[in-house]
Amino acid sequence: MTEARPCDDLLKAAFPAIVQGDPVCGESSHFQVPKDLLPAITRYLHTQPTLRGRLTLIWACDHRPARDSYGLHYLFTLEASRHWVVLSIELTGNDRLFPSITPHVHAAKWYEREIRDLFGLIPEGHPDLRRLVRHEHWPKGTHPLRKDFPWDRVLGRRQGEHHFRRIEGEGVFEVPVGPIHAGIIESGHFRFSVAGEPIMQLELRHFWKHRGVEKLFEEQMLIGAVPLAERVSGDTTVGHSLAYCQAVETLLGLQVPRRARYLRALFLELERLYNHLGDIGAMCNDTAYALAHAHCGRMKERIMQLNDRLTGSRFLRGAIRVGGVTRDIENRQLTDIVDELNRIQPDFSEVGAIIFANASLTDRLETTGILHEQAAWDHAVMGVVGRASGMDCDLRRDRPFAAYDELPVNVALYRYGDVRARLRVRGDEIHESIRLIREIRSKIPDGPVANEPSHLPNPGDWTLSAVEGWRGEILYMVMAGEGGRIHRCKVRDPSFVNWPAIQWAVPGNIIPDFPLINKSFNLSYAGNDL
Amino acid sequence: MFRIIKKSLKIGVVTGQYRGAEKPLLPVIPEAKEKSTLFKRSLAIREVDTGSCNACEMEMNALLNPVYDAERFGIHIAASPRHADALVVTGPVTVNMERALKDVHKQTPDPKIVIALGDCAIDCGMFKGSYAVTGPVERHIPVDIRIPGCPPRPAEILEALSELRKSTA
Repeated sequence: MTEARPCDDLLKAAFPAIVQGDPVCGESSHFQVPKDLLPAITRYLHTQPTLRGRLTLIWACDHRPARDSYGLHYLFTLEASRHWVVLSIELTGNDRLFPSITPHVHAAKWYEREIRDLFGLIPEGHPDLRRLVRHEHWPKGTHPLRKDFPWDRVLGRRQGEHHFRRIEGEGVFEVPVGPIHAGIIESGHFRFSVAGEPIMQLELRHFWKHRGVEKLFEEQMLIGAVPLAERVSGDTTVGHSLAYCQAVETLLGLQVPRRARYLRALFLELERLYNHLGDIGAMCNDTAYALAHAHCGRMKERIMQLNDRLTGSRFLRGAIRVGGVTRDIENRQLTDIVDELNRIQPDFSEVGAIIFANASLTDRLETTGILHEQAAWDHAVMGVVGRASGMDCDLRRDRPFAAYDELPVNVALYRYGDVRARLRVRGDEIHESIRLIREIRSKIPDGPVANEPSHLPNPGDWTLSAVEGWRGEILYMVMAGEGGRIHRCKVRDPSFVNWPAIQWAVPGNIIPDFPLINKSFNLSYAGNDL
Repeated sequence: MFRIIKKSLKIGVVTGQYRGAEKPLLPVIPEAKEKSTLFKRSLAIREVDTGSCNACEMEMNALLNPVYDAERFGIHIAASPRHADALVVTGPVTVNMERALKDVHKQTPDPKIVIALGDCAIDCGMFKGSYAVTGPVERHIPVDIRIPGCPPRPAEILEALSELRKSTA
């Protein structure tokens, strides 16, 4: 695929110094960029009206000891054409500084801080260089993703203090929440600055659950790392394992049988169903509407029991493998699934009608926690949250994977960006998923469900893969190492991008509404902290 | 209103509609049973996540849905460790959560029981040895009962809890 695209020509005309490389993964352009030009190019990509590049991923790679350099890569998705553009820069020798693009592209903020913590590379000109992943008690100079850092090193402890952004003034006080919350939630810390009732500022502090997932990937074989991918974020088991497997299949040049691609889409939709049902119930529960919570909990449980009958795991674990799926779902079982969903759909519609007829619930949901379209764009927000704020993106339609090239998807889109819009997106997607599963049932072809890999990939090859999980885009960058091992695996859960955006949805609301807003985003802490 | 009543009548009772669980994989030791005789009739649980992948939390949440309805066995979730009789810890203990876990254990009034839920909490599971993980729960606080599984099904959690609270005789 070397045909020139309009965006490539635009970029090359504006910046003659850049060098176009080979496309790395299907529909994408790849450019080698001089370090000092990077901020200008990213600003051009991000703001040029015909391009409108959304920053999708930044990752770094330690190439030592093979060659003495670090690579930094920037992935943009162009809004108009859904085309991927990868920009790469290289830091050689003792160079540890790279230009920060955060002043131009806001969404780069956490990525650059993360790279600084994990690699020790310093984003020059970044407005906020506090530690992100490494909490204050980590010793100096611990950068775990460097190749010379052993994966099982025991970290020491040192004294240190984290400084929150502080608003000072009469009547302003801070409310710290977490890391351990009331209720059964994961660990994270929120710091509210309030004056009277309304929240003036919210600051997040995460990475309490940092388990070193990306380093653990580097200790694994390409074929054998699927269970680890499944445990990045437990509720997105299929999304993560599918994204990982797709990346490995591209590296191995492995074709997935058509029936397996349909079954993968089926599992992904089942996962979307049970999570969305649970979310709608939990959002109602946070407004003290226990009836809806009970009904949604009951329906979610039915789908999880269905998952258990199908694959032996309520979370569909172990269903997906490199080259296909682990077991066939017989046509009789598919009919059972569709029958069960045919019973659940009217059931859910009734509950939905009851929910939206409730005036006091609507009063809590509407105009609460508004994330404006501009803020969503600035933070490159995607997934359910993005679609509720008017960002028209869905990878199932934009970059079809699994069997979605043969299963057209209707994307739910709302513009208000409040809690109710996020509830509505989830409700619409439940109906859409059920429709898709019916379509899968009627279109699924016969045939094998897995192919075996035949050869090892070349060391140094890398590829990107993207899957629309139930939260949003899941991205995996996998680089092959020697002898079928993994050299580097960058995992990006949609939570990592959507978390900072929540800080823009909260101000102006009152603290009792925060749990509701947080629930309507429902982001993963584990997938964010890695 | 009529719609709600009609819906409730149509659905009926769903509690208990799940496949029964096997006996717990790890037997409950007599000492733990002895310790929990106090909580035979009611048990307030505080859930602490120290680095799990959130599947265990989802199953703990499922315990409260109408199908499992753990409250019918006198099990309920407390919002604060100060109100808790039992700590349920999920996940391998990460470097960043170690101090918080010790704090929460200190804040829970005695007598208390500690339950390690899921393979990660019992022996770190897939994350064993990682630089960011300091060890299983029992390295930091004494653990009374272990419920294995990745994640254990809600029915299995209920079975293990009821086993724990059966009389020793």
